[in-house]
Amino acid sequence: MRRDGSGTLSRHGLGIGAFLAPVLILYVAFFIYPLFFIGITSLMEWTGISKAQFVGLENYKRLFSDATFILGVRNNLIWAFASGFIQIPLATLVALILARRVRFWKFLRTLYFLPNVISAVALAMLWKAIYNPTYGLLNGLLGLVGIQGHNWLGDTATALTAVIAQSVLYIGYFMIIILAAITNIPDSLYEAAEIDGASVIQQTFRITLPMITGTLVTSITLAMAYGMRHFEATFLMTGGGPAYATTTMGIQLYNKMDAFRYGEASAIGAILILLGTVLIVVIRSLLSKNDPMAEAAQ
Amino acid sequence: MKRTVGLIGILLLVASIFAMAEGQQDAGSKEVVLKWPCIWVGKDSKAAEVEKLVNEFNAANAGKIRVEIEPQPDYDGYEQKIRTSIAAGIVPDIFTLKLNPTTAEYYKSDLLMDFSSEISGDWKGSFKAGTLEQATIGGVMKSIPYEIAITPIWYNEALLKKAGVSYPKTVDEMWTAFDKLKAAGITPASQMTGGTNAWTSMIWFSHFAASIGGPKVWDKPLTDPVFVQSAALLKKMYENGNTTADAVGGDAGVSGGHYLAGRTAFFSNGPWYIGRVKSEAPTIFANTKVAPAPAAGTYKNAMIGFLQANIAAGNTKDPAKKAAQIAFLKWMTKPENVKRIALSSGAMFAVSFDLTDADAVDPLMKQFYELSNTSSFNVMHLEGARGAEVVAEFGQQLAKMALGQATPEEFMRAVAAKEKR
Repeated sequence: MRRDGSGTLSRHGLGIGAFLAPVLILYVAFFIYPLFFIGITSLMEWTGISKAQFVGLENYKRLFSDATFILGVRNNLIWAFASGFIQIPLATLVALILARRVRFWKFLRTLYFLPNVISAVALAMLWKAIYNPTYGLLNGLLGLVGIQGHNWLGDTATALTAVIAQSVLYIGYFMIIILAAITNIPDSLYEAAEIDGASVIQQTFRITLPMITGTLVTSITLAMAYGMRHFEATFLMTGGGPAYATTTMGIQLYNKMDAFRYGEASAIGAILILLGTVLIVVIRSLLSKNDPMAEAAQ
Repeated sequence: MKRTVGLIGILLLVASIFAMAEGQQDAGSKEVVLKWPCIWVGKDSKAAEVEKLVNEFNAANAGKIRVEIEPQPDYDGYEQKIRTSIAAGIVPDIFTLKLNPTTAEYYKSDLLMDFSSEISGDWKGSFKAGTLEQATIGGVMKSIPYEIAITPIWYNEALLKKAGVSYPKTVDEMWTAFDKLKAAGITPASQMTGGTNAWTSMIWFSHFAASIGGPKVWDKPLTDPVFVQSAALLKKMYENGNTTADAVGGDAGVSGGHYLAGRTAFFSNGPWYIGRVKSEAPTIFANTKVAPAPAAGTYKNAMIGFLQANIAAGNTKDPAKKAAQIAFLKWMTKPENVKRIALSSGAMFAVSFDLTDADAVDPLMKQFYELSNTSSFNVMHLEGARGAEVVAEFGQQLAKMALGQATPEEFMRAVAAKEKR
């Protein structure tokens, strides 16, 4: 960077501004403005057609006194934690195994990643069929071993678990990120550990995991963010039912809009954003404390 | 820098020349273009004839009016599009809507054309009795009744014969028939709690309510014993193998799929489903009969009938555009044109037309026409009477009741609570 005169600096700043401006404009138009709009309309009673009326915090009060909404918040949190603390450990485990260059590891890497290039709608439909109590694959397999089938998506006791289970199984995206982090660890560390007689398990816990903690924290954060805003699979597989067992804030937001309750829909949106932000900040700050690389960088 | 400014200047000049040329062309031809986001496209049974009618209209009005269909094959997507367009203050020139207490919100805006003074004389006379009144809210008619429907009970006569039963006239007879069907290895009825409105079960519930409560049933509050009794009957339909294992959580595909596959003997839907049964399950089609629901109360031969689709138009201050919209709507509601769509699709319409012996009416459709003419009275279904939010709650609470987690009283209280909103 040349800082040999004010003219150069000003041109440099202009250049940076020119490159940042398009993204910044889009960001303001499609994120900041909608955020502001959500905040304002959440204080309104608005059908989207008739004139909006200011009602203060009435929409929020109404939501927090609705047991269904509380159930949605609970389910969102379950989704977030399942994504962060089931999906990521699974992805890490597979990445650790593949990083050892096991047989067909390249093929397996592609295989695990494949669901990420398939439409979420197609996957939801596939799992809906798998879970079908009459002709579904799961009940068919259970039948082969003498276990009676079940209406997985039609029972309030199993529906949420069934929808989450099909989602957290798709570990490919995070597995690739974690695998990339593992392959960046210098081989010399492992060579030294082997000379010192460290076992594979010891190498994993003493070298690999500490070296990729930053990546794991980022992956958990991302997975939890995806979990918090979850919508598609549940909407397509259960519509939030049965008896609201799988409902999420996203589905409730959609239903409110469907019933022309845009004020309440905006209030749900605002709560979702706020809750998501708080959760992510807390999780990041808690997990980052255990990141030796982050400490070293400070 | 100078070169860049010059290049931008040239581009702007070229763009403005093109824009001016296009404007002059529009001004010269004065053709009015009407955009119609249309649900009757693709595999829809009305698609082919609607397209023909639009093409004929365009040919007859060449250079003056042109209607452009914007295909929207997914109904939920279509409703979303219309809703967001209207919320944004942009209304399509022509569109269709399902008129219910939720969509009646559209009537509150000035964005839709009011037809109350437009529909008169022969045009008014072509509509079936009561349909224009159903489309009138608060003295304004901001949509024209078009497709109407009844949703009788469909039954597979071959399966009933196999079980040695005939179509039940009362609910008590229905339970006996159900037991015999089960004994013959046949699941009695299709049901569903999923989808946006638990359609099949919502129709059964509406039938029971009509038979118990009579023509004015929807004037009663949802906590009325009429609805609790109807809910209790519906609950029983989910018990003891009276429906399929996937009914709780199942959607319209599940409910209809079992009937099409010959797994269930009873089902309920409108005439728009005829085409699908005919093409996808010809054997089932050949054995299908339709009838009023078995009487649950003192009112017999009741039918669930409603406006299925109304046509609306965006309000405009441009007299030429308004004239074009009216001309097209008159064309689409012309009895002979409506008859063409009806005969090709099997759908029912709010516009009257004459049928002759020469007209090839589908035998199942004929049964629909007969039922429509012979029913003692018609009432709306729950969604038509109470709106989207109430039926959404109906589906969720129905699952709870079907799973034994709520009594019929609790079920109706929960559904009624949504209505209070």
